[in-house]
Amino acid sequence: MAVCSAYTTQSLNSTCSISTPAKTHLGFHQKQVVFYRRSSKRGGSGSSSGPCVITCSAGDSQTVVIGLAADSGCGKSTFMRRLTSVFGGAAEPPKGGNPDSNTLISDMTTVICLDDYHSLDRTGRKEKGVTALDPRANDFDLMYEQVKAIKSGVAVDKPIYNHVTGLLDPPELIKPPKILVIEGLHPMFDERVRDLLDFSIYLDISNEVKFAWKIQRDMAERGHSLESIKASIEARKPDFDAYIDPQKKYADAVIEVLPTQLIPDDNEGKVLRVRLIMKEGVKHFSPVYLFDEGSTVSWIPCGRKLTCSYPGIKFHYGPDTYFGNEVSILEMDGQFDRLDELIYVESHLSNISTKFYGEVTQQMLKHADFPGSNNGTGLFQTIVGLKIRDLYEQITSSKTAAPLEATKA
Amino acid sequence: MQVMKPVRAAPDSISEKVEKSVKEAQEACSDDPASGECVAAWDEVEELSAAASHARDKKKDNDPLENYCKENPETDECRTYDN
Repeated sequence: MAVCSAYTTQSLNSTCSISTPAKTHLGFHQKQVVFYRRSSKRGGSGSSSGPCVITCSAGDSQTVVIGLAADSGCGKSTFMRRLTSVFGGAAEPPKGGNPDSNTLISDMTTVICLDDYHSLDRTGRKEKGVTALDPRANDFDLMYEQVKAIKSGVAVDKPIYNHVTGLLDPPELIKPPKILVIEGLHPMFDERVRDLLDFSIYLDISNEVKFAWKIQRDMAERGHSLESIKASIEARKPDFDAYIDPQKKYADAVIEVLPTQLIPDDNEGKVLRVRLIMKEGVKHFSPVYLFDEGSTVSWIPCGRKLTCSYPGIKFHYGPDTYFGNEVSILEMDGQFDRLDELIYVESHLSNISTKFYGEVTQQMLKHADFPGSNNGTGLFQTIVGLKIRDLYEQITSSKTAAPLEATKA
Repeated sequence: MQVMKPVRAAPDSISEKVEKSVKEAQEACSDDPASGECVAAWDEVEELSAAASHARDKKKDNDPLENYCKENPETDECRTYDN
């Protein structure tokens, strides 16, 4: 359903022709249709009148925009797969398009990788001596224009950054979905883009864990060694600290991943301590809590009712401040070995926005092969996915409430 | 006849790219470790390693046995036994 309002300088009794403006170079369509009156020289009453303008806006488009920030190799893909699974369906690259497209589309969601807004391709960055983390390598104006367009219901032609060749490929058409997720290094860097986000998440991986994950990822490649992996992380660190890390203070939810405190001197990075830092006062988002909202709780679920194997599981919940904002932090240290541990923990958490008892456990089991399925990363990613579903339903129900009332009457 | 490839490394072209980029980064950094060239070179290594990892995952998804078992978990070939 589209709403159109017409503005005329005089009545439309003269011949008008419709001209639709061509697409701008930025790739989004104007929403205005301009009528021009043919310049027929009629009698005295033919005073010059300006063109008549009709402006249309798609009134029922309510694309909810979610931002997800993290460094490369830090679990954004896994998070995306969990998130799209919560909404149902698998997310796949656009059919029939560029096979190296970074975009994923499912029924409800479209995931855009912000690398597509690189202004410099790999050769360009090499020449200038900048990393992909540097804002100079990214076109924030285009990012803002296109996300704004999609949010207001207008399809855009988005460039494609090909990670295999390192080149910018011809654009692909992105139609406005119900939920748009923009994931990458800089979703919250530009203030204008930040204001378009309905919810934002930052994955904060500590240095030790990042090192361990990258070793796991890269040791199978014959070109790599421990030294090269370390060198790569260290070379990127200054830019990461300067441009990416500061975004975490803007996030509505931060998932912080640290080494475990349950095993002294653990450096394998297999057991993790994960903290879900949730901002208070965010519209449509009520933080998850343990037992008693707003209090501080330490909880070890293993005991008489539940037996766990080494090193066990430890939870902590409490209010705190994070970069000057009021937050609630839910923390899990350890890992799940068995199904009943997971369902036991789920039954004691509150405000997890599940639609039925055991939904978190079910989602975790569905993706038992994903990394983090036995610890806090998988648990909190799944819970954040459910909170986003809840946020989406709140936003859409509040927007359709008024027209629905009218149609009922 | 089907050729079985080990599902360990990424497709050869990407693996070669990773190997090449690591060598190039090491050369670029031997002169001046703090220079833009050195940093950009290691960033390229990171980007290619991530691409290689995604390619590896994609290849894993195309295992014919896995695909068959997703649809037919009850057949003899696909039954799994957990204690």
